[in-house]
Formats: sequence, structure tokens, C-alpha cells
Amino acid sequence: MQLLIEQIINGCALGAVYGLFAIGFGLVFSTLGILNAAHGTYATFAAIAAYYGSTALGLPFALTVLTGVLSGAVLALVVDQLAFQPLRGRGSGMIGALITSIACWMVLDSLAGSATEQQSLSFPVGTYPGAIWYVGSVPLPEMQILAIGLLLAVTVGVHWLLAHSRLGAAMRAVGWNQAAAQIAGVNPRVVIVATAALAGATSGLAGVLGGISTNNVSASLGEGMLLKGFAAVVVGGFSDVRGAAVAGVGLGVAEVLSAQYISSSMRDAITYGLLLGFLVLRPRGLFGAASFVRA
Amino acid sequence: MDTLLDFWAAYESTVAFAAVNAFFALSTYAVMSTGLLSFATVAFAACGGFLGVQLMASLHWPLLLVLPASALGGTAASVIVALVFLRLESHWLALASLALILITRILVLNAPTLTGGVNGLGVPIQASLGLLAVLLAGAALVFWRLSASWYGIAASAVREDPAVASSIGIAPKRLQLIAFAISGAMGGLGGVLLAMVLQFLSPETYYINIAFTMIAAVVLGGSYHWAGAILGAFVFTALPVAMQALVPAIQDVASGLALLLIMILLPRGLVDPRAWRARAASRAIERS
Repeated sequence: MQLLIEQIINGCALGAVYGLFAIGFGLVFSTLGILNAAHGTYATFAAIAAYYGSTALGLPFALTVLTGVLSGAVLALVVDQLAFQPLRGRGSGMIGALITSIACWMVLDSLAGSATEQQSLSFPVGTYPGAIWYVGSVPLPEMQILAIGLLLAVTVGVHWLLAHSRLGAAMRAVGWNQAAAQIAGVNPRVVIVATAALAGATSGLAGVLGGISTNNVSASLGEGMLLKGFAAVVVGGFSDVRGAAVAGVGLGVAEVLSAQYISSSMRDAITYGLLLGFLVLRPRGLFGAASFVRA
Repeated sequence: MDTLLDFWAAYESTVAFAAVNAFFALSTYAVMSTGLLSFATVAFAACGGFLGVQLMASLHWPLLLVLPASALGGTAASVIVALVFLRLESHWLALASLALILITRILVLNAPTLTGGVNGLGVPIQASLGLLAVLLAGAALVFWRLSASWYGIAASAVREDPAVASSIGIAPKRLQLIAFAISGAMGGLGGVLLAMVLQFLSPETYYINIAFTMIAAVVLGGSYHWAGAILGAFVFTALPVAMQALVPAIQDVASGLALLLIMILLPRGLVDPRAWRARAASRAIERS
């Protein structure tokens, strides 16, 4: 019983990272209509920047995380302006942006490999909170609580932003129909920049937390997150950040439990099985709207 | 003459890979010419590839039977996939086909008797360049004839506007099912040829990288003409090799940047029938 509880907590912490990544990935897809193959590299670079900030500059933990978040946002902005902006207004649709995002992924993946010297780095013990709390006999590592807490905070924050703020209304309007939004007085350029930066920041946060909790800062960090985050977004529904968060945590728990109780080779099978099942049977996801008329 | 032979020896395998990628690109083009983006070619390639290799290695079938059997295997898989996927709206179809690739790798990993599992599978027969050239020429011939046929014209109508197409008596779903079947045959054939070029199959052989390669090849070459798929496959396969010869230290970065530049400067690809028509029209105006 205790093992089960421990594994569920492990799964929630893992899923919190997937969820954070998925929020950014889904935001770009639903608002900007871009299936971004380079999104995983934002997480990778955020983790690398945080790693060097922490080890080379000796930044405290809070600043380390902030470094990662900011570098994710900046990278997302640069990629958006270089690779996606020139295609806008040309009607090349989803495919054109997909190809340029693949080009960016090739470049950034290779650069990430050089930045880590083709190795898997890990944050040294002591550069992040490593204490373990106990509730009864159940251990609660501080990092896991932090990951779950940050997921909750970001989900509530982004959902509030989208549902109740002026900027959020503008983002939803642009996602629905950019031309109509522009007629109604929304400046799409501002919305695009804000969305890209916000998506990069949440994915950067996921990158730092994932890099710490899996002891792996390398190009493969972002690649894994991209696939799992994609699954979480589809299962949760593109148009709702709460869906991405819930599905991310759900996938994390399902993965950890299936690795523990079934077999570790079934771990990915369950994630991708759910992904395909949802796409075929309920494409709008758990929380999605009934129709998909974007992009 | 010797330098020419050295050059050929060094780049022979690049040409072989380019020919194989051309099959994948044609497979993607077949579906895209009816207005759908699908990555499912990778799954069809896995079906054709593993089926073909098993027929060669375990049942010792001759090559002349293995190739059509692989194409048929790919077609069978594509028809099953199409029957499920064509119920989806086009964006979801693209995403579902991406998910299918991820599932394919899991299935390959968990069926070791058929696929060799994590250890992979050796391939007994090697594909010669001559064979690849003949098959690719045959495929090009088929696509050329198709593009001028009723099917080709109906497909471009469905691509431009399915609603209008169905109002003039074309059934979009049926046409897309045929497109998937063609895509499956090309994918299955490409899959077994890839196996014969690589001489080894692992669970990573048929995975995301093929999907990215083929979609980039089609868009790079021009997604409105079948020749674009072939040209794009050759350019996209040669790009990393050329970059390695020119700037070995940063070859991946350079290929990525080259792809980015081509997409931004030539968004409709290298082979663009609309640009030809525009040029022909302006020439006609000048003459009159």
C-alpha cells in the first residue's frame, strides 16, 4: 500500500512536468495554429541555461529556475520571429510552419548537443532543494512537491489569463480567427509575441524541473517531453489548459504505475495507446470544445 | 576519370538513400494530393519492410515476389488505417498519423519473433542502384499517368475544395481512400527497399526521422507536382552530405538553416506548376 502511494506521488511529479510542457505546446497549437517540432528544444535549452547558471555562476535555486524560464521564453520568441513570422499571411497553413519548425529543431538539437558536449549532464546535489518530508511513513521529496505546486500555480494562472483577462480574450480571438480579431481591434502581432513567450516560459520551467528530477540535461530531455507533452495535449484537449494539466498528471501516474506493476516496456505503450485512442474516438480530448475550426 | 569514380564511390550510398526517400516522399505526396497531411507512410513502410525481410530471410522468396508482396502489405495496412482515419477531420488525421508512428515503434519492440525486437533484424539481400532506379522510374511513370487521368484531376479538385468537388459528383472520401492505398503501396515498397539498402532493421529504423524527412522532401520539392516529391527527396538527402563536405563542423546547423531559407524564399517548393503557368501566360501576353 505504501509503495502504491509513493508511486502515485512519483507519477504526479513526473506528470506535473509533462503537464507544464503540454500547456506551452498546446497554447502554440491552439492560438497560433503551429504544430511546433522545435518546442522540445525550448525545454532542453532552458535546462542547459539553468545548469550553467547554477554550476558556472553559482546562482541560487530560485534564480536558476528563473534563468531557465527566461531563456525558454527568449528562445521561443527568436524561433517564432525567424521561422514562423515570414510565413504568416502567405496561407502556407500548418505544413509550412511545420517544416520551418523541423528546420529549427535540426539546428537547435545540434547546438544543444554541442552545448552539453554530447553528454547527459545532471544538476549537482545541493544546487536544488533535496530535503524529504514525511507524512506518516510516506516520503515526500521537496522537488516533487515543488513540481506539483508549480503546475497548479501555472495552470490556474494561465487559465485565469485566458479566461478572464483582456490579453487572454485577444489570444482566444486570434486562435479562433485572426482576420476577424484584427477587424475587432486586436493587434495580432502583440498576441503572437505574448503567446510565444508564454509558451516558451512554461516549457522552459518544465525543462528545468524535468532536468533536475530525471538527472538528465541533454538533447534527449526535450525530445521525450515533446512526445509526452503532445500526448498530454491531445488527451486533455487543445483548447483548455486545465485539460493539459490533468492529462499530463494522469499520463505520469499511468506511466509510473504500469512500469511498476505491469512491465517497463508497457510504459510508453499505454501513453501512446491512450494518445491514438483519444485521437480516433474522442479527438477533442477530455475538456475540449466540440469543434476544431482553428488554424 | 578517376576522380569521377572516387566521387561516385563516396556518394553512391547517398544516391541509394535519396531513391528510397523518393518512395516515401511519393507516398506522402499521394495523400497530400487529395488535401490531407498524413505521416502514416512510416507505419506502411514498417509493414512492408518487416514483411519483406521475413519473406526473404525465413521463406527464401525470390526478390521478384518479395517486392510486390511488400507493396501489398503496405497497401493492406494503409486501407485499414484509412478506414479508421478518414472519419477524422484533417487536422486530427495529421496528429493521429503522428501517433501511429509512435505506436508502430512500440509494436515493433514488442513483437520480437517478427521484427527481432530490440536486437533488430539482418537483411540477406542488398538493393542495387539499378534496381532502385528501375523501380523509381516505374513509380514516376505511374504518378505521371495518374496525374493526367480522371483520378488525378478529381484529386486536385478535392484538394482545392472538397465541398465543390462533391457538388460536381466526386466522392472525396472514396478518392482519399484510393490515395491512401497508393500511399500504402509506395510506403511498403520504400520500406523493404530501405531495409535492403541499410541491410539491417532496428525499432528506430521506421520512426519519426523518416516522417520529418519525407514531409520536408515533399514541401521542399513542391507539393503540387509528383516530380517535386522526387526532386525534394534528392535535395533533402544530399543536403546534409553536401554540408558535411563544405562545413563539417556545423553540418546539422547548416542543413537546418538551408531548409529554413528554402522554405522562406520558396514557400511553394522547387517544382511549382502555378509559377510555370504564370510564366507561360505572361509570355503569351508579350507575344500578342
